[in-house]
Amino acid sequence: MEADLVVDAKFKSCPGPLLALAEAVSKAKPKQVVRLLATDRAAPSDVREWASSIGHRLLEVKKVGDVYEIYVEVSS
Amino acid sequence: MPKISIIVASEKLDKLYPAINLAGTAAISGWEAELFFTFWGLLALKKGYEPSDVSLDYKQYSGKLSEALASGSMPSWRSVLERGKATGKLKVYACSTTYELLGFKEDSLESFVDDVVGAATFLGRAKNSDITLFVS
Repeated sequence: MEADLVVDAKFKSCPGPLLALAEAVSKAKPKQVVRLLATDRAAPSDVREWASSIGHRLLEVKKVGDVYEIYVEVSS
Repeated sequence: MPKISIIVASEKLDKLYPAINLAGTAAISGWEAELFFTFWGLLALKKGYEPSDVSLDYKQYSGKLSEALASGSMPSWRSVLERGKATGKLKVYACSTTYELLGFKEDSLESFVDDVVGAATFLGRAKNSDITLFVS
């Protein structure tokens, strides 16, 4: 999946990936897609919960090797 | 949006981090978060404070924690707090009784402290919380 922005939070433990993602999303434009890279096993469910709480859209979660690729669309 | 209120009664690394991580995560999730630092928790609000000790019972893990913090794999409590504060949803209160007890002055406190308040004020702010925790 294409992304407008990439946030690399590999090897960061909770809540590191979410903080990095939230910061990137706060600077992104509506409808842009952010790709979060994380190795924290909690990242997929944390991002799902966060996105639904704050109104962004979780598009996809992929695991490539040990790395999660999590795609979030910024709310409009 | 939901609200979480946490009473922090210890300044130790293993007490401070869980409290700050929950409050910071709540704030970036759009929640309101209220932190009330009382007794030894207030020591964490002293300007320049950096926790280095864990609770005595878990001393054997302090090396592991320090490593995780030094490597940056675990975000520092200050960075989480700052992110939370930047949302405008996270409030930090110092307990007035402990403030007096420990001889704090206006300039003893970190600038991220919103106010020095008493029990009734904090209760008023926390009464409609969805989650309430006491960390000591």
